[in-house]
Amino acid sequence: MNIGLKLSRRNFMKTVAAMGATAFLTAFKADIVKALTDVKDYWHICWINGASCSGCTISFAQIAEPDLIQVLTEITVGTSGLPIALPDYMETIHPASGTLAESLKERWAEGQQGKRIMVVEGSIQDPGWCLIANKDFREHVRETAETADAIVAVGQCATYGGIPSAKPNPTNARGLKDYLTEIGINKPVINLPLCPVNGEHVLLTLAAVMINAPVELDEHGRPKAFFGTNMHDELCPYRPYYDRGIFITVPGEGEGCRYKIGCKGPLTHTDCPSRKWVNHTSYCVEVGAPCIGCSEPGWPDRFSPFYKEIPGMPTLLGVDATTLGQGLLAATAAGIVVHGVKRAATGKKKEEKKEEV
Amino acid sequence: MANVVIDPVTRIEGHLRIEMQPKDIETSTGTWQIVDKAWSSGTLFRGWETILRGRDPRDAWFLTQRICGVCPAPHAESSIQAIESAFGIQPTPVATMIRNILHGAYYIYDHMIHTYLLVGPELGVIAKYPPMVPPALGKDGIAKLGLGSSYAQCVTMQRKANEIVTMWGGKFPHHASEYPGGMTVKPTLDRIASTITRMAEIWPFVAKTMVGDLLALAEANEHVGEAVSSLLDIPFRGLQDVGVCTGNFLSYGIMPDPTNYDDWLAVYDRPGRRKSALIHAGAWDGDYKDFDLRKIVEYVKYSRYDNASGLTPDKEDAPKPNMNKAGAYSWLKAPRYGDKVYEVGPLARMINTFGMKWKIPRVNPLTGEDLGDFEYTVLNPKGSVIDRVAARVALTLLIANKMFEWAIALKGYLGQKVTNYRDVPESGEGFGLYDAPRGALLHYLKIKNRVIDNYQCVVPSTWNLSPRDDMDQPGPVETALVGTWLPKDLDVPTIASVLWPDEDIDLTPLGVSATVNWGDALATALTPLGLAGLNLEPANSSNFNTSLAITVVRSFDPCIACAVHLIKR
Repeated sequence: MNIGLKLSRRNFMKTVAAMGATAFLTAFKADIVKALTDVKDYWHICWINGASCSGCTISFAQIAEPDLIQVLTEITVGTSGLPIALPDYMETIHPASGTLAESLKERWAEGQQGKRIMVVEGSIQDPGWCLIANKDFREHVRETAETADAIVAVGQCATYGGIPSAKPNPTNARGLKDYLTEIGINKPVINLPLCPVNGEHVLLTLAAVMINAPVELDEHGRPKAFFGTNMHDELCPYRPYYDRGIFITVPGEGEGCRYKIGCKGPLTHTDCPSRKWVNHTSYCVEVGAPCIGCSEPGWPDRFSPFYKEIPGMPTLLGVDATTLGQGLLAATAAGIVVHGVKRAATGKKKEEKKEEV
Repeated sequence: MANVVIDPVTRIEGHLRIEMQPKDIETSTGTWQIVDKAWSSGTLFRGWETILRGRDPRDAWFLTQRICGVCPAPHAESSIQAIESAFGIQPTPVATMIRNILHGAYYIYDHMIHTYLLVGPELGVIAKYPPMVPPALGKDGIAKLGLGSSYAQCVTMQRKANEIVTMWGGKFPHHASEYPGGMTVKPTLDRIASTITRMAEIWPFVAKTMVGDLLALAEANEHVGEAVSSLLDIPFRGLQDVGVCTGNFLSYGIMPDPTNYDDWLAVYDRPGRRKSALIHAGAWDGDYKDFDLRKIVEYVKYSRYDNASGLTPDKEDAPKPNMNKAGAYSWLKAPRYGDKVYEVGPLARMINTFGMKWKIPRVNPLTGEDLGDFEYTVLNPKGSVIDRVAARVALTLLIANKMFEWAIALKGYLGQKVTNYRDVPESGEGFGLYDAPRGALLHYLKIKNRVIDNYQCVVPSTWNLSPRDDMDQPGPVETALVGTWLPKDLDVPTIASVLWPDEDIDLTPLGVSATVNWGDALATALTPLGLAGLNLEPANSSNFNTSLAITVVRSFDPCIACAVHLIKR
């Protein structure tokens, strides 16, 4: 959705109000920079890593419009020259280390109330598996969450536990929301899954928080603007192959829908096909690979083996995917009837998915 | 004396704690403190090898690359090679060529981001070299003082490199396009042209800015050596006398020749050097030596595992963690080659391929403009901070040159079959050996009943950050920290003023009418950000400046999530 590139902040905010957060969360560069430039206060960010691989930090560093340097040097408070959002703490790229780094967490906590954002990367394990400055990561999370005014979980590990929580879950890893619930902290958490998180999702979410734009979440805590669409039903550019029953059956050979080499698109809610990755360059399915479903709770166990066709999925209205596709193709002449069948199939499919995954 | 502790070590991947026992040395200029002994401890354990068991072997490369989000691509590559070896198949030549391009772009990103965002800031401070100091004064500081100019450019350039990775891999981190026996992505003219377009922007940054920054560092380093040796009254040449290791270097090589893949695979059967690849395998110990896979063993005397010690990777079981094991101080195992301590990483790759003298052409592949060869002679044959940094720059240039060749060569493969497809075999086992930017990376896979029966990773940071072994030999970083100066009660701006006393930095462009020395300029930038106490660690009622020590650690580019079986002390 294009909301224009040269809006004043006032008009921009009006647009956000009129069109909802979705419009804002799909906007870029000029709009964001402009909207944020008028924010008069410092925001403080504390980005902490638990059982993580730092891939989400690296993914955040791939943002393009604006890029990381623009964020830190151009979106500044007034004439101070200081960035609007000081990353008080960010283990992977911060200048400070050791004692000074830990003391900056305290500075973050002393930041202005209402303007302290907590970002968590990595899952939370049982005691003893992850220590930072000789203190359990669980304690770091608890202390930070108690203070935080907004909480964002980035990546599959921090949202739903990720690979560390995969069978047999040797360290009893879990996502942030589950951990906070366990310890009695009931603040809202914005979940930004995918493995890793899409850097643009982080940037846009932080910007939305700062200008107080509403972020509507789905039942898994994900912004609907990013995760409200089913990849297979609503976004996939290869969907016509599926409808015509044309499939890739051997990876790397031929062209067609990736369903038969295990694509989990039909079970996956994400905007990957439209937003893509690293300056909108590409995404998994575009390079002939199956979607592995990394935006969903229960990943990876409920989505693996990754190259195995989704069990049960083909049986829509009693026919398998190939037959369904060819049947639709043959019925093209019937026009409106085809669309009716497709709608019926899609509606039914959504119900079945929940039980089958 | 209490120990000096850095925890967390930032600007690395993962959770690392460094503990150093200082000792006094007396010279004509006073009493100074240096590191006497050091211990490195990773502080996160996730149990990846346990999670892999019982899964479809083809999923291993997806899952293992997520061991690390900084170096996912080499994990994917080592894993896919282990899978192919266990399946008994080879990738097609076109797939090998695509992999070289994908991993070439990945290497450019990784070496760049380490050089500027991770290890670079302290180097810029020590060398009075503003382009490598982070842009702490914002846009104005970049424009008017050049503060952070290279750092800022690096952020854009590393992304352009990752656009190439994404073009061929679907996304980054964690690409999606490999498959046992080849790739799922096909070569197209569009992808080839887009690769060359991106490289046309990246190459000048590598050949001019990165090489230029290294040469500037090397020049300033001579001054730093003189200033420190006269201050401390000790023999000290500069950063070539900091972070000195054992002089043993191990490499598995990178970028196989698509037309000679048998040579790449030969080391599975007999010692060799993979000389047809861009970077060779080898076990340099003062001279070129063949790499022998059977000489790799892991010790666990000081590691918190109840597993048997001194086994080759294919004989090892899943980790049996024991937080209370007597005498153990680390979750990391201690890998050794022929029972000796070997350093892995960019310097190991360069030395095993080119020896101690390197010469790399700098001719713009598109315009023909010749910037003159980049020449470098290793300053300390046992390894050092400056030599490791130089090796990263050299490899980035070498690969940037090759990217054009590979992209053009790929045109000759258009329309060819990309994958030697084979379904999962009933059983099999195999190794994958590929260098990550941080060093030699081994994956081992055993398949039984069509699922993963055993999976082992012996990763670069486990080599470099390993604890003592069963023979009580300290690991590479533990060795390299010994002798490092820990300035007592001297903060970063003060040291900078001592090293660079000239008052020649004009702050007028920033609205401050003053001409100051390097230390005061740094204080101007650091103080408003709350960073005046940068790298100071309290111990014995004093503050120890750990800038040099942390630079030693970072020069190895630690990746603690990778070192998997990690630790606490």
